[in-house]
Amino acid sequence: MPFSLIAKNLFKHPLRALLTAASLAVALFLLCVLRSLVVALDVGVRNAAANRLIVQSSTSLFVYLPEAYEAKLASIEGVQNVCKWNWFGGYYQDPKNFFAQFATDPEALLAMYPEIEIVSGSREEFLKERQACLLGEGTAEKYGFKVGDNFPLIGALFQRTDGEPWSFKVAAIYRSKKSSVDNNTLFFNYEYLHKTIDAGQAGGPQGVGIFVLELAPGADRVQVASAVDALFEGGPQRTQTATEAEFNAQFVSMIGNVPLFVTSIGGGVMIAILLATLNTMLMAAREQTRDVGVLKALGFSDGSVFGLLLSQSLLLCIAGGGAGIALAVLSGPGMAIKLGTMFPGYEVTKGTIMQAAILTIAIGFFAGITPALRARGMSVISALRSNA
Amino acid sequence: MALVPISYNLRSLFVRRSATLLTVLGIGATVAVVSGVLALEQGFSTLFTDSGRDDVAIFLRQGATNEGDSSFTRERAEILMKTLPEIASDSAGQRLVSAECYLAVRRNKVSGAGETNVPVRGVQPPTFLVYGDDIRIGAGRNFTPGTDEVIVGRKLVDRVEHCELGDTITFNTTPFRVVGIFDNAGPFASEIWGDRDRLSEALERPVFNRIVARLVPGTEIGFTPTWASTDGKEHLDGLSARLDKDVQVPCRVMTERQYLTGQTQALSTVLKILGSFLALVMGVAAVFTATNTMLAALAARTSEIGILTSLGFRPLAIFSSFMLEALLLGLCGGIVGCLFALPLNGVRTGTMNFQTFTEVAFAFRLTPHVLIRAVGFSLVLGLLGGAWPALRAAAMSPTRAMRRE
Amino acid sequence: MSEILIRLQAVTKTYTRGGEALRVLDDLDLEMESGTFFALMGPSGSGKTTLLNMLGGLDRPDSGAIVIAGEDITGFDNAELAQWRAANVGFVFQGFNLIPVLTARENVELPLLLAPLSRKQRREKAEYALELVGLSDRMKHRPAQLSGGQEQRVAIARAIVTDPTLILADEPTGDLDRSSAAAVLKLLGTLNSELGKTILMVTHDPHAAECAQTIVHLDKGQLGSIERRVPGAV
Repeated sequence: MPFSLIAKNLFKHPLRALLTAASLAVALFLLCVLRSLVVALDVGVRNAAANRLIVQSSTSLFVYLPEAYEAKLASIEGVQNVCKWNWFGGYYQDPKNFFAQFATDPEALLAMYPEIEIVSGSREEFLKERQACLLGEGTAEKYGFKVGDNFPLIGALFQRTDGEPWSFKVAAIYRSKKSSVDNNTLFFNYEYLHKTIDAGQAGGPQGVGIFVLELAPGADRVQVASAVDALFEGGPQRTQTATEAEFNAQFVSMIGNVPLFVTSIGGGVMIAILLATLNTMLMAAREQTRDVGVLKALGFSDGSVFGLLLSQSLLLCIAGGGAGIALAVLSGPGMAIKLGTMFPGYEVTKGTIMQAAILTIAIGFFAGITPALRARGMSVISALRSNA
Repeated sequence: MALVPISYNLRSLFVRRSATLLTVLGIGATVAVVSGVLALEQGFSTLFTDSGRDDVAIFLRQGATNEGDSSFTRERAEILMKTLPEIASDSAGQRLVSAECYLAVRRNKVSGAGETNVPVRGVQPPTFLVYGDDIRIGAGRNFTPGTDEVIVGRKLVDRVEHCELGDTITFNTTPFRVVGIFDNAGPFASEIWGDRDRLSEALERPVFNRIVARLVPGTEIGFTPTWASTDGKEHLDGLSARLDKDVQVPCRVMTERQYLTGQTQALSTVLKILGSFLALVMGVAAVFTATNTMLAALAARTSEIGILTSLGFRPLAIFSSFMLEALLLGLCGGIVGCLFALPLNGVRTGTMNFQTFTEVAFAFRLTPHVLIRAVGFSLVLGLLGGAWPALRAAAMSPTRAMRRE
Repeated sequence: MSEILIRLQAVTKTYTRGGEALRVLDDLDLEMESGTFFALMGPSGSGKTTLLNMLGGLDRPDSGAIVIAGEDITGFDNAELAQWRAANVGFVFQGFNLIPVLTARENVELPLLLAPLSRKQRREKAEYALELVGLSDRMKHRPAQLSGGQEQRVAIARAIVTDPTLILADEPTGDLDRSSAAAVLKLLGTLNSELGKTILMVTHDPHAAECAQTIVHLDKGQLGSIERRVPGAV
């Protein structure tokens, strides 16, 4: 197998080889990104903690549960800890600057979410200071906030009567070790929210958005969830208790056909690039007709000639596709930061790389098979006569 | 200046059939994908913006970005509704204004594919006067005010459970009967409507979310949203400026069209970015393909170029000829791509508008605007792909060209 | 008397062109001795190129037998023919048919890839063959950088590098000018007289034929005459 021949044939027309490889790189990059987006949508489901349950209103996401439920929840068998979470729904300066904020119980939060790692600032201050907040390092970096700064939030849902933004002192900055919590959230003290509303300094919905329960070791998830819902069957608000995975999944299912949609786009891209690569390989093969004749005349078997043309295609595709995949991997962290709020957990996983690699090889194979078969069956005499 | 006859290009494309076909299909696939996304974005945004009226005003609490965030107490709502002079009345003297309560409620999807959030709107008889013919009862009848009856928007009927005529929907612990299906060209078709006071009690929502009204013709609302203003900031003028400073009921006011457009901003932007990104990335690949094909064509026709030059055709004529050929490739690719994408037109889909967290059902719309953009895009692809080979063709010296063969 | 290397028995080949059947080779019987330089001559359409192709295993007769060095190659399938060709035949074409992307040495090495040789051995053999044809200094040049005569000599080097039983040349001087043609023919003559190579050369040029020891004339697919001679000075 004349290896040098394969490589040299490809570079006979360097511009053409480059263009084809470049379009392969571009297409594979795109496919990796698309798949990573779909994977990111699922990340909340895949990385959900097995020992946390979410208690929400069975009517609507936007209906609040009475605070009185907290004590009752804590007393249920199998429940080790309870934490309140209220979606604050504010923004920094402009509604476009969207990220998640929650009013919660600081001590319970840190106990129940071990993946939250405080990287700077003081844990104690977050626990003690009424107006303190715990800020995700992604948001801190994006808007340039450090420990000790005051973070102003304009409340869309909870509005202050004096018309001023809410202000929280950054007591600590965190990074999440798992994608079950993103790196962009702001957590502050529920009591502060509650007291401010009670004192008439702000308006907004009363009650608790969701309760997060931590299961005691050995407790049965399904049993505890049913016990909670049974307890509040009669009202005032019926509950729907789900595992963290199910809770996150409901958001994904609401998005609907997106995975199908993205897959169709991916399919279209694949077809386009396959056609383009096939075009190039056919062009190259046409020009190699005489060479193929020479090789056969010299005694190279039909099979080896088949292998030669197929290898050319595979080599080109692996070079181009490999570059595209590498580009996707390298740009991964950068993309994750840009898409952080909408697709938290964007990551080019091994699964994505594997799929992309298989696709690359498949394209190389399908683009190369026709010219390879043609070369295999070519009659030596007519090949030698060809003027290509 | 003599131009190379177009039949030469057509025949050349035909002679190298397989390469031409593959290139056209490749460009076609690119155009089809981009058109699909554009059609999706078009379907989504026109659902909202086309149906938004300029003569209906929406009142929200200050600082609220959508009605979910907004709230009015009963007292404040009454004050605004009864006293605002700009509110129009009908011939019977009835003021065309209504306060609504609104909640996105959990419902199961019909296919067992999970849950979705369906907007439930509590309305009063004046609401139907405000909207007039925009809301039409398609089947059954309208609900009777003060009763536990609801009407369901047409688009929910086969997407969400218990939304057929005659079904019973339970909100919290109260059952409501579906007595009618209504049609609406806009997003209301994905909602459930019922008596405001009955729903607000069942859902335990004692406050109103927004107020809708028809204003006296000629009223200047004067609201410029961030996305429509030149400096990216909101501007208040006329009525909206006055209400912003109002002592009794300070609030925001805007036209229904502005409100709906605002609702779609985020998702529309996402789709537009996705479309642009795809167009760019796939376009680059398509340009490479076109260039490759043209370069190969060039290599095969070197001697022909030499002959043309020696016959007296100027370099510019040769350049134009190759460019034309590339544009033809692009055009064919564009048409093929549009044909591939056409079956999508009207295909219904639904997703979650994550600004409001509610289900919104819409259809792909392949409008002439989308098609024109798609074909324009394919022409650009042809242009870019053919530029370099055309230059090389024009720059070829005749002796070199003929010696090659 | 040298032994018979090639024996053709009742070889027939018919081509159909435009609905008409043409008998290119008609029940041909021929014997060729080893170590001889043959010229195959005849008018256009006489079947000489077809005969050459068959002797090289590139084409098959419709009927008849072709026995070379004791093996009847008409019974071989494609794979066997390829293998046989690699070991036994060296081709020289009118159009040189060198691979444009490879250097002279790489072109000559090409047939050696089919033999179980190490890289070093291949290189040595190729360089030796190039030396024989007098082009050692052009080893690293690609065909585009060589003159027509030089290309053909590289092709000859490629043809002999595997030490084949038979060298088949199809109008080797057809594309060359007078002096290059003379050099090539001289080279072929030397390969035959000093290295004892059996050479079959198809040609329509009587001057070229003068370098051969035996001239076989074909006419309309049948044997015309066989002229045995002593090669004249070129």
